[in-house]
Amino acid sequence: MGFVSDALASIGLNEFVITLMFVNAILAMSIYLTLYGGMFSLANAGFMAIGSYVSVILTQSHDWPFLPAILAGMVAAGLIAIPIGLPVLRLRDIYLAIATIGFVEITRIMILNLDKIIAEAYTRLHMESEPPKITNGPLGITGIPVETKLEYLVVTVIILSYFMIRMHRSRFGRALAAIRQDENVAASQGINVVYYKNAAFILGAMMAGLGGGFSGHLSRIIQPGSYGFGTAVDILAYSVLGGISSWYGPILGGLALTALPEVLRPLKEYTGLINGVVLLIFIAYLPGGLGDPALWRSVRKTVGRIINFINKGKTADAGA
Amino acid sequence: MRSKNLLFVFVLITTLALPLGAVAQDDGERPLIGAWDTCADPANLSGEVKIGVAFAQSEAAAIYGVPQQQAVELAIAEINESGYLGEATLVAVTEDAGSTPETAISAFTNLVAEDVSAIIGPTLSNQAMAADPVAFGTERQESGDPLIPVVGVSNTRTGMETDFAASYGDGGAYFRRISLPESKVIPGTVEQVVDILGIETVGIMYSDNDQFTASAYEVFVSALEENGVEIVATETFATGDVDFTAQLTNIIAANPDAIVVSALAAEIVPLLEQARSQLGYTGPIIGGNGFNTPGIASEDRGAGTDANGVVVGGAWNVARQNEISTAFTAKYEEEYGTPADQFAVQAYTGTWVVATAIRCADSADPAAVLEALATTADFETPLGTFSFDEDGLPEHEPVAQIIKDGQYLLLTEESAAEVFGE
Repeated sequence: MGFVSDALASIGLNEFVITLMFVNAILAMSIYLTLYGGMFSLANAGFMAIGSYVSVILTQSHDWPFLPAILAGMVAAGLIAIPIGLPVLRLRDIYLAIATIGFVEITRIMILNLDKIIAEAYTRLHMESEPPKITNGPLGITGIPVETKLEYLVVTVIILSYFMIRMHRSRFGRALAAIRQDENVAASQGINVVYYKNAAFILGAMMAGLGGGFSGHLSRIIQPGSYGFGTAVDILAYSVLGGISSWYGPILGGLALTALPEVLRPLKEYTGLINGVVLLIFIAYLPGGLGDPALWRSVRKTVGRIINFINKGKTADAGA
Repeated sequence: MRSKNLLFVFVLITTLALPLGAVAQDDGERPLIGAWDTCADPANLSGEVKIGVAFAQSEAAAIYGVPQQQAVELAIAEINESGYLGEATLVAVTEDAGSTPETAISAFTNLVAEDVSAIIGPTLSNQAMAADPVAFGTERQESGDPLIPVVGVSNTRTGMETDFAASYGDGGAYFRRISLPESKVIPGTVEQVVDILGIETVGIMYSDNDQFTASAYEVFVSALEENGVEIVATETFATGDVDFTAQLTNIIAANPDAIVVSALAAEIVPLLEQARSQLGYTGPIIGGNGFNTPGIASEDRGAGTDANGVVVGGAWNVARQNEISTAFTAKYEEEYGTPADQFAVQAYTGTWVVATAIRCADSADPAAVLEALATTADFETPLGTFSFDEDGLPEHEPVAQIIKDGQYLLLTEESAAEVFGE
């Protein structure tokens, strides 16, 4: 095990980076569910923030153990997704994207100003006691102990993958696929479109909340600025690069996109440039993403052909 | 036959040149900076002494990180050429800390694996809060590996020392910084401003719902009291406000010698425009760190000439240079073709402070380096005379600046007369 981690560290993937890769894989999976149902939602950065703050506040200010706290963060994100999803999911395509970006910004600004709002309420209500500091505004919460372990993340990814595989063949998965292809046709076949879309949205939110809880206990500091538009686009990029035609695409995308700049570190000032070029090439030549089943089929075929070729050569040699 | 001759000549030249080179290295020009006499030439150091360097070389913060990196490289070249560490060579292990906490953590994780004696960086304060504990935090303490001192050269967030001490106990003392936090900039600035402008009364305006500005307000009040300045009016506003005329009218009515403003850049611009253009206030406006953004005095996006007469403290100004600083800025400009800024000067200072700690400790052991680092006192640097105070906070005289037509000038009686036309 030590040998493997040393080898990985030598190409730039130290323990922290590998842990971060799996956190981002979970976040990438969270957006897969909504995309699978044809919903272009970018709300997951907001749910990530909620999961992150709720779990960190529970472990830091209320002495909760780590695992219950991140589960609570996950549930909190799911609960907030209910009132958001009902109105917002009536929108489609780019309008849904814009509305969900709005949600991300509102979440960020709420976290930024929560302490002020509480303090204001205290003065309005003439309360004597000192108003509590909950999110600590722009400075964020610091000194968070690192509790996120790689083992937890691997187990989480395996469990989520199992659910994803099962989902595809379930009534739920088939309903989402039908909704993605045509909402009206799906509705006319008796699929409860509102129910399934919201269910996918809430489950995605819970996964994002879980990813947020893990990330909050990894980087020692959480700040509202970390959960803005950029993060929303990052999460989308993981699943686009990985491809959404398979359940493992987003995982591959999250792992690869996090690892790439770290592996390219020795290039110094060219890191960003090469990183961008690699992404462009991937998007241009692999529109289906890293997890495109067609890609893997063709890889398998090519490998098979090469093996066949070698075997043939061998038998020919033997014959001669 | 001929090739043998050539080979002989080659060997001869190299054997002759080798000791020559070594002599040349020892006789290298001695820089103005350095504790040459306070600490004897190190006897125990040899080989390579590694220090980690992690600044933002990519994304948003690279505009600060690139000059920092260049200044560190320049300092290390000087240190090695002058034989400051005796037989040993100072080697920088460089990692790009990016502009986010995560990239900084990754950079620090790589650096601590290299057994460095100290780390300089990262660029941003939030990166420091996330990444510095990699070198001395709980995990490092539990692993049994030696804790590594981290020297910040641009982290100005208030209370980092106490935050680290609260989270990581004794490990927190491994954090040191060269950059002055606001609690150190304001008192020194107020003292100079009061002295130069002859201020006796002030009115204060601050946004009371932001932690940066509220804590700066408290520092201002105690600094003003210490200098015998009377506060004749205090007004508050909220971050995000756009209309300050009511508060400004109240303050101007109290007729203070100057107005003290603690606000963030977003509120500063409309506040200045309203004070100057609408209400016709012409006196000095003394600002906190939010005023240290050149954008506030820019013509198109900032307050333009309405920012004239704003007085703000900083760590360094090109107009107030000692001979060490002049030597450094000349060398820096010659090497990189751009003038050195405050970030470069602080990074240069930080590298010399670390090298001095290694020299005085006569050891590359991180704990010994920290011990020597902590006792840094009265060290002559481009920033002035530098010390760590009893709480481990950096101390040197800040520089009071006055804005005139978009420029941050050194505050003197002449420049003040120029701005206020007295």
